[in-house]
Amino acid sequence: MKFSLVILLALVAGVISYPRAVAKIPPIYNTVNTLKIKLGLDLQGGFHLEYKADLSKVDASKRAEALSSLQSAIERRVNKFGVSEPLVYIKKSGTDEILVVELAGVKDINEAKKNISGTPLLEFKEEQIDTSNQIPQETLDQMNVQAKAKAEDLLKQALVPGSDFSQLAKDNSQDHAAKDNGGDLGIIKKGASAPELNDALFDPDPNFKDGSVYPKLVETESGWLIIKKITTTGSGDAEEIHAAGIIIAKYREPAPKTNYIETGLTGKNLKKASVDYTNQALSEPTVSLQFDTEGAKLLADISKRNIGKPLAIFLDGLPIVDGNGDGVINELDPPYDPIIQAELTNGQAEISGSLTIDKAKELVARLNEGSLPVPIGDPIYQQSVEASLGQASLTTSLKAGAVGLAIVLIFMIIYYRYLGLVASLALIIYTALMISIFKISPLTPWGITFTLSGIAGFILSIGMAVDANVLIFERIKEELRRDRRLPSAVDEGFKRAWPSIRDGNYSTILTSLILVWVGTGFVKGFAIILMVGVVMSMFTAIVIVKIMLKFTLGEWAEKYPWLIARTRKNNEISPKK
Amino acid sequence: MMQIINKRKYFYIVSGTLVIASLVVLSMWGLKFGIDFTGGTEMQVKFSQNIPDNTVISEKLKELNLDSLVVRKTSDGTVNIDYRNSNDQINTEVFGKIQEMDKDAIQLSTDFIGSTVSGQLKSSAIKSLILAILGIALYVAWAFRKVSRPVKSWKYGLGAILALSHDILITVGIFVLLGKFWGVEVGVPFIAALLTILGYSVNDTIVVYDRTRENLLRAGVKEDFEDIVNRSLNETLARSINTSLTVIIVLFALVLFGGESIRYFSVALLFGVTFGTYSSIYVASALLVTIYKHQIRAKS
Repeated sequence: MKFSLVILLALVAGVISYPRAVAKIPPIYNTVNTLKIKLGLDLQGGFHLEYKADLSKVDASKRAEALSSLQSAIERRVNKFGVSEPLVYIKKSGTDEILVVELAGVKDINEAKKNISGTPLLEFKEEQIDTSNQIPQETLDQMNVQAKAKAEDLLKQALVPGSDFSQLAKDNSQDHAAKDNGGDLGIIKKGASAPELNDALFDPDPNFKDGSVYPKLVETESGWLIIKKITTTGSGDAEEIHAAGIIIAKYREPAPKTNYIETGLTGKNLKKASVDYTNQALSEPTVSLQFDTEGAKLLADISKRNIGKPLAIFLDGLPIVDGNGDGVINELDPPYDPIIQAELTNGQAEISGSLTIDKAKELVARLNEGSLPVPIGDPIYQQSVEASLGQASLTTSLKAGAVGLAIVLIFMIIYYRYLGLVASLALIIYTALMISIFKISPLTPWGITFTLSGIAGFILSIGMAVDANVLIFERIKEELRRDRRLPSAVDEGFKRAWPSIRDGNYSTILTSLILVWVGTGFVKGFAIILMVGVVMSMFTAIVIVKIMLKFTLGEWAEKYPWLIARTRKNNEISPKK
Repeated sequence: MMQIINKRKYFYIVSGTLVIASLVVLSMWGLKFGIDFTGGTEMQVKFSQNIPDNTVISEKLKELNLDSLVVRKTSDGTVNIDYRNSNDQINTEVFGKIQEMDKDAIQLSTDFIGSTVSGQLKSSAIKSLILAILGIALYVAWAFRKVSRPVKSWKYGLGAILALSHDILITVGIFVLLGKFWGVEVGVPFIAALLTILGYSVNDTIVVYDRTRENLLRAGVKEDFEDIVNRSLNETLARSINTSLTVIIVLFALVLFGGESIRYFSVALLFGVTFGTYSSIYVASALLVTIYKHQIRAKS
C-alpha cells in the first residue's frame, strides 16, 4: 500500500518535471506542460534596478501615500515597454525606501533607464484644422462630370439586351459591399429608400418589368445609380422590390483633418493640479490647474485665440487618460480635449463636466506625473544580464548538476550496492520532486524563482540529500555486523540514525534561515532552495527509502549478503591497527 | 581501529600552522573585496569582431578617470571591465566608449552597486556571520544539553565552535591568497558560502559527538574517555568521509562545469567542506579529549 503510494508519487513528480514523457497523451501533456519554472533575471536575461526614493521633502504622514503613487507612476512608465510581467515594488533597506524595477527581455538598458527615471512630457496642445488635403470646387466639378459620363456609358451597356448586369456591377460598381454580389441591393420596401431611388424603383411604367434595367440614370446625393428590378412582391403600399444596382459615387470635399499643435505650455508650467469639490450641489468634481507666471501668460494667449475650441492634454505623446476605456492608454485612445469656455487670465483653469470622482483623481494623478511624486535620481544598484548569457549560464549549470548527480548515483551504487541502488532511486525521485515544487510554486503565493545561485543550492542539496542515507546505511551495516538479522537491522538503522540526521540538518536549516532573513538576491535565491532541498531530502532519504527497503528487502535477502556489503568475517570497518 | 586521538599532537600542529598562516596573510594582505562591498561596476562586454587588447581598451577608457579600472579577458571570449566609481552615469559613458570601438558590441551583463547599497551589504554580511556563529553555538549546546558527564555540554559546543572557526579561517586564508595572486574578489556569495560551510560542517562534528554521547551512556566504568572518543570516531569514520564525498563530488562538478559566475562560490564551499570534514575527524574530537584532560588536571 505504502509502496504503491511511493510509485504514484514518483510518477506524478516525474511527469510534472519531464512532461515530454507523456507527449503521446495530449490531455495530460498539455496540462502539465503549462507548468514552467520561473526563471530569475540572471537566467532569462533582463535587468534589475534599484532607486533610492528621496522622501526628504515629503511630510512623514504622507510618505506611504507618496510611495504608492510613485510605484504606480513607475508601473505606468514601465508598462510602455511592453515586456511580460514587469515587476515594480518598494522595499525597505535600513531607513531607506528603495524602489525596485525588474524587467525581463528589454534590449536597450540605457533607453529604459531614461524612460524610468526621466520626466515624461506633459503638453497642452491646441487644435489646428489641416486644409492641405482640400480640393478646389472647380476640380471637383470636373471630376464629377467625368463620373457622370461614365455612369451614362454604363447605363447604355446595361440596356443592351442580353448584357451581363452582374459582370458590369462587378467591374464598375463603387459599392464595395454589393459589387461582388451582382450589385444585389436586397429587398427594398416602398418609401424606405432615398426619394430619387424610390421614385425610380416604384415607377409604375409597365415597361419596367421584373428582370429589366431602369432606362434612366438615377441621381442621388451620393452618386449615380443604374438599377435593375429582379422581382416584385406585394402591391400598393406593401410593395417590395428585390433590386440590383451599379453605383458610381460623386466626388466630395474630404473632411478636414484635425491636428494638435504645440502651444509651448507644458508640464513645467503646471504648478499644481487638484480635485475640487467646490460645487457640492452638482456632486460632480472638477479638476483645477494652477500654472506658474510664464504658464499663466501662455494660457491667456492660448485661451484668447481658442474660445470654444479644445485644448488637448498629452502625456508622452499619448492622450492623458484612457478615453476608450480599454484599460490601457495608447494610440487608439481619442485625444483628451476639454473645450475652452472663456479667456483664462489668472493662470488658473478648471476642467469640469462628465467627470466621476475616480476619473478626476486619475486625471490629477496623471497631470502631476510630469514630476514624479517622489524624486528617485540615478539608480543605486543595477544588475543586467543579456538573454544569451542567461541561457548559457542555465545550460552550463544544469550540465554541472547532471554530472554531479550521475557521479553521486554511481558512487552510492558501488559503495552501498542494493541499498545504494534504492537510495539512488530515491535521489532521482528527490530531483523530480524538487523540479515539481519549482514548477508548482508559482501557482501559490510562495513562488520560488530559479536563479543561478538557486541552481547551485539545488545541486549542493543533491550532494547533501544522500547524507541521511549514508548515515542510515552505515548504521544498518553496523547492526548486521553485530549479527542482527536483516529486517531488524534495517529498522534499527533507521531508528538509530534519526537523531544524528535531525541534528545535522537542523544546523543547515538554521544557517539557511539566517541567509534568507538577512540576505538579498543571490544569497536568498541560494538559501531558499537549499532549505527546501534539505527538508525534502529528509523526506525522500528517510520515508521513501524506508518504504522501498521494507517492501523489497525480506528475509530472502539474507541469503545474498553481498547485496548489502562486502562479506568478511572481521567485525571492524578497517582492519588496520 | 585507527588511533586518531593519541596522534592529536600532529593534527594540532597541522591545523595550528594553517590557522596561523591564514591569520598572518589575512592581516598582511587582507581579502580582496569585490564591488558588493566597495561599490562599483562589473561590466561584461562581448565584441562583435576581434577583441581589442586589454591595454587598448584601458587606454580608450582612460579619459573617463575610472577608479581602479581592471580590464580582463574571460575564458568565454568576453571582456570584463571592473571599476569602482559609485555613480550610474559613468556606466552609460563607459559603454559609449566601447561602442565607439565596436558599434555592435553587446553589454552582456552589468552589475552596478552604489555606495549606499555596498555599505548595507557589508553590514548585513557581518550581521549574518555573527548571527550564524551565535546560532550554531547555541544550537550545539542545546543538542548536547543532556550530556554532562564527564564533559559538560557547553564544552561540546566550545569544541564544535573551535573546529568551525578553524574551517572558516583556513577558507578565508585561501581566498586571501587567491585574491593576492589571482585577483579573486570576495563578495556577498563568499559570505553565503562561509555560512553554508558553518551549517554543513557542524553536521559532521555533531554526528561524531553524538556517537561519543551514545557510547558514553553505554560504556562501562573501566573504559577510558579517550578510548571511547577514539572508538566513536572510528565507528563514524566511513559515514563522515562518505557524506562529505557526495557533497565534494557535486561541488567539483559545479567548479568544473558550473560556469564563471558561480565558480568561486563553489570553490569556497569546496575548500570549506573539505577542511570541515578534516576538522570534524581529526580536530573536533581531539579537542574534547584535550578539554577533558585539562579538566582533570585542574581538579587535581
